[in-house]
Amino acid sequence: MTKRYLVLADGSIYVGTAFGADTTTNGELVFNTGMTGYQESITDQSYNGEILMFTYPLIGNYGINFDDDESVTPTTAGVVVHELARRASNWRNQMSLADFLQQHKIPGITGLDTRAITKKIRATGAMNAALVDTKKQAQQFIDHHATKRRTNLLAQSTTKNAFPNPNTGLRIVVVDYGLKHSILRELAQRQCNVIVLPATATAKQVLNYQPDGVLLSNGPGDPKDVPQAIEMIQTVEQQVPLFGICLGHQLFALANGADTFKMKFGHRGFNHPVREIATNRIDFTAQNHGYAVAAGSIEQTQLLVTHKEINDQTIEGLRHKQYPAFSVQFHPDAAPGPHDASHLFDDFLENIASYQRQRRTATHA
Amino acid sequence: MVAHEVVDGSSMQRALTRITYEIIEQNKGVDDLVFVGIKTRGIFLAKRLAKRLKQLEQIDVPVGELDISLYRDDRHVPDHHIEPTVTSSDIEVDITDKHVILVDDVLFTGRTVRAALDALMDLGRPKKISLAVLVDRGHRELPIRPDFVGKNIPTAMDEQVNVAMEEYDGHEDITIEKIE
Repeated sequence: MTKRYLVLADGSIYVGTAFGADTTTNGELVFNTGMTGYQESITDQSYNGEILMFTYPLIGNYGINFDDDESVTPTTAGVVVHELARRASNWRNQMSLADFLQQHKIPGITGLDTRAITKKIRATGAMNAALVDTKKQAQQFIDHHATKRRTNLLAQSTTKNAFPNPNTGLRIVVVDYGLKHSILRELAQRQCNVIVLPATATAKQVLNYQPDGVLLSNGPGDPKDVPQAIEMIQTVEQQVPLFGICLGHQLFALANGADTFKMKFGHRGFNHPVREIATNRIDFTAQNHGYAVAAGSIEQTQLLVTHKEINDQTIEGLRHKQYPAFSVQFHPDAAPGPHDASHLFDDFLENIASYQRQRRTATHA
Repeated sequence: MVAHEVVDGSSMQRALTRITYEIIEQNKGVDDLVFVGIKTRGIFLAKRLAKRLKQLEQIDVPVGELDISLYRDDRHVPDHHIEPTVTSSDIEVDITDKHVILVDDVLFTGRTVRAALDALMDLGRPKKISLAVLVDRGHRELPIRPDFVGKNIPTAMDEQVNVAMEEYDGHEDITIEKIE
């Protein structure tokens, strides 16, 4: 039972027990409110550089399987739980959470009151934290690293090279900012012939594939750290139906003149109710974002707000008023979480069908 | 005679929402719009489109009604051999110089739309008339083409497409049945 410390930028230090990799780490401390789905969350590239804390008290009880990963190499900086299950039990269980974290060199800490720490973050706002082995290291973190912000997350999360996910349907280019595999699963279910391009893809590179549609994936960090995407989106949205998810949504907003801001503590979990403004329909959605589109910045743009979170009125969906382009802040790909909004992938494909039909009979001035 | 559900209620809703977005997209503003619904369900569809536009853009688009006698719910024979005629209309706004979006549930031969166009022309001189339909089932007999389509549903001539709407039928879906 090795001791480990969770140290926060405000100077508070919590003592717990180490599990997972035997290493130290630091990053922004964020909390996820989901009861289940720790495997999908830990392997979600949107948590790159973040220390992920689960508010649900028992984590690891159903182990890890090899089917539910959301990326090949998880980049979550660390994991904080209240109680790590001593023994995993599930018919799909193939590995314990501790072994999985060890394999991927992610340190964890157990035995902390994660709900109390969450309340603190909710009150004071997101802050940096570290997982360390000694009090001396804890003090070093507080003195030297507490306010550093990571900006190189994307290079780690995106694919280095383009790769295909062949199928027989519509040709979709996915620009990978830290793609969750579930996005590919949803597209594969709909027979989409997918080509995944790295985050550095230019408009020319995207359009060279003559895609029927372009999907901007989720990803980690601040959308303003991805300036190269803006120009690409501005060109592509005029020529091809576009769908943005999470970071892709924020980039779509920036490309069209809206602004984004860092939220106090973000939305991470899968009980976030989102209202579709056109119909008043509520979907419960999976979310993972620390930044959001600023409501006041929409007015002077060509964007239409289509979805809002009903608790804090955050903008959760946008649509362009002139191009067949839309985006959502939440995850229609769920994983983990409810599939209420998976129809958005159908909407994307119907947008494409409608756009192509109109192009064939083009009489609109 | 079994009716097969081809589109469920929530897909119908989403198709209408998409049409609303497309109307915004293609009109670059929605100032001069007037919706005109054809007969029973087209009127309800028009009202729903207007409601969605109001929620999204906070503007009131007037909804007019055209009653065209042709299809009756109790008929189970292919009835496209009868020429549709306009029996009444209730359009309060002046449609002259307006962009009229004609709304119907099913587009088939195009003869209903032709009759509706005639009726509109008698009422004024719109700047433009567009056509929005929930279902395009093909088999046109006139050079008429929809601008906004919810679903393309390929059909045979001896089939009938039924749209059910909450406001009128108490439930919501699109079904196909074979006429014998």
